[in-house]
Amino acid sequence: MTMGIRPGAGVTGTPAPRAGRRPATRRRRVRWIGLAFVALPLAVYAVVVLLPLAQSLQYSFYDWDGVSAATWVGLDNYIEFFTDPVLRSTLGHVAVLIFFFALLPIVLGLVSAALITRGRQRGMAVYRFIFFLPQVLTSVVVALVFKRIYGPEGTLNTLLRAVGLGDFTRSWLGDFDWALPSLGLIGTWTTFGFCMVLFIAGASSIPTELYEAARMDGAGPLREFLSVTLPGLRGQVAIALTLTVTSALRTFDLVWVTTRGGPGTATLTPAVALYRAAFQNPDVGRAAAIGITMAVMCLVIALVISRVSERDS
Amino acid sequence: MTQQSTAPRTTRRMITVLAGSLVAASALAACAPGSSSTTNTHTGEISTDVAAAGDVTIKVSDFWGGTEGEWMDDLIARFEDTYPNVTIERTQEDWGQLTSTLNLQLAENDGPDIATANNGWSSLGTLAKGGLVLNLDPYADAYGWDDVIPSTIARQNEFTTDFSTIGSGSLFSTPVSRVSLIGIYYNTAKLDELGIDPPTTLDELEAAAAKAKSAGEIPFAYGSQDSPTALLLALQALYGTADEINDFTYGDTSVSADDIGLLEAAEKAEEWNEKGWLTPDHEGIDYQTAVANFLDGKGLFRFEYTGSLGLTDEQQGDFGYIQLPQVSGDGTVGVGAAPAAMVISSKSENPDVAAAFLDFLMSEDAAQASADHGLIPLLADADIPADAATLQSEAAGAAALGESDGFVPYFDWTSATMLDTLTQQLQMLYAGQTSPQDLVDAVQADRDAFLADLAQ
Repeated sequence: MTMGIRPGAGVTGTPAPRAGRRPATRRRRVRWIGLAFVALPLAVYAVVVLLPLAQSLQYSFYDWDGVSAATWVGLDNYIEFFTDPVLRSTLGHVAVLIFFFALLPIVLGLVSAALITRGRQRGMAVYRFIFFLPQVLTSVVVALVFKRIYGPEGTLNTLLRAVGLGDFTRSWLGDFDWALPSLGLIGTWTTFGFCMVLFIAGASSIPTELYEAARMDGAGPLREFLSVTLPGLRGQVAIALTLTVTSALRTFDLVWVTTRGGPGTATLTPAVALYRAAFQNPDVGRAAAIGITMAVMCLVIALVISRVSERDS
Repeated sequence: MTQQSTAPRTTRRMITVLAGSLVAASALAACAPGSSSTTNTHTGEISTDVAAAGDVTIKVSDFWGGTEGEWMDDLIARFEDTYPNVTIERTQEDWGQLTSTLNLQLAENDGPDIATANNGWSSLGTLAKGGLVLNLDPYADAYGWDDVIPSTIARQNEFTTDFSTIGSGSLFSTPVSRVSLIGIYYNTAKLDELGIDPPTTLDELEAAAAKAKSAGEIPFAYGSQDSPTALLLALQALYGTADEINDFTYGDTSVSADDIGLLEAAEKAEEWNEKGWLTPDHEGIDYQTAVANFLDGKGLFRFEYTGSLGLTDEQQGDFGYIQLPQVSGDGTVGVGAAPAAMVISSKSENPDVAAAFLDFLMSEDAAQASADHGLIPLLADADIPADAATLQSEAAGAAALGESDGFVPYFDWTSATMLDTLTQQLQMLYAGQTSPQDLVDAVQADRDAFLADLAQ
């Protein structure tokens, strides 16, 4: 909508009382040409985003198996999402994943960015590349690799045995207590490099005079980090937070490839529950309700983050 | 002035256009989804004369790869030889891919004429209820399928036409001339090494397992990370009667989860787990790894779906198959079904020819082709190659089930979510987070919820 209004609104604002007929026509033509240019993307956007969104919203109010006639159930699907113990537990799992996918990598990223920007070493680009690498790998590949690492005879257990910690070995992804944190750490590993590179790039644009001034005032490394680096990186932190939190909310591939939500329902996420409802146990209404709820949550989180980060500056 | 007013007018027009299209879009979406415009009753005369049908192309979508795919290709070639006027275009898809998109494919006008569906409510039931597949009763009459298909197998393809009940009523799909069972495989060499004869009862199996354990072997090659249920369902069939398991699965509320051998099976699984008879750390072992371990000699026995080990011709004889009789000693009951439910699309332009092909897939020729390809024949007698020792033992298992009419369907047909429930409960049982009785109660609750939903 906004896209459609904006060109018109902009033109209204331009002063054109003395313009003759021809320029106006030209202007109108330009406007239509502009519209013609956006028409195709707009149509595509409407067909692949807006229409499915409207449909999902509609489906979410029905009890529907995807084929036969649907029955209207009002908000039942949404109520079920928040009252069914198994479905509700997926929200708790997501909260754990947000810690591992978003908070932990951002803290680690900030610390490493602070360390790296303080003392510039040779070969920095190589380290940055190595830490960024997980971000480049396909998530399915990452999941398969970690499935091996976490396996009963996997690298992690072998390592633990080698250093005499054989008592701590377990099937990490098959253990009710450890499966979710184990999955979470995979997320930490993949997003940490991304956060770090983002923060290093941001830190390099902080004027060095600020650091010099801080040092002149006798600020130690911690003070310097809190007073100069962190405020300077507010925008980057907001971006990192938005991206990682929303990716934690929609975690699917990692879980699907490794545990399928098990053991029991210990690693079930809303996205996996959605997939099951949509494609395995035909309950399209419930799947749509989960999807809409997750979309709204993503939107709210993104809005809150951007509000908070803008207000502070 | 005129110039000035043009701009707002255009803006207004654009808003109108946009708003209009949004209204139109939501109006399009406003009617309730899934209108049942198609019908699955056959209209007009049916014909069994394929040669007279003229040039016909039949599209088949199935999920059979490997040997099963070769079996299908073989039969398609033979059918085309018999009827040169018929061309069959086969599309092979991955199991998950096809079952999750079949409803969309069948709704298309140029979708497949014939497809493999998964039995039970979640796939076949949904398709039949939605009118996407044909009611095959007229063809069953014309071809005399009642005489070909044993009643316990036929039930797996039946729904009442009000779609309130599975396991009776009209035929909505057909089996094929081969069968897939759940039973026990053993490693022939390992058994010889330990001086154990292939067990013929559950007691003998447990004695063998105890002996293997004390000899430092893994009695049961197992993985419970993603697919732990074969063991439970095989054990269940040793305790429950065929009638009660069948009736429970088909939604007969006079049979409860307490009556179907599930409690005893869960207790046995728990006991074996505690005794360390299952592969250590099985909670972290996925299905593929568990199968590979067994083929690798890491484990004496394995509860498995037939055909899933993917044995090569050279491996025939390295592994034997056992279909244990019931603990009570009354005959043999086991999970057994055709490897797919063959459906005909309601949109098929040549349902008569499609039905003729389904008839051919249930023929004696097809059964013999099964045996020739190393698959277990069903519906008709077939000669099993003498060198196919594993297949011999598998066919003997199928024959024992046939004699007792002891086929029971896959338990997860009970409800759309039953497989998830069983998997989760079993994983919790091994971790000590639930008891066998709680598992049984969860199964009952799952079916209750499903049947209540169905009745709405």
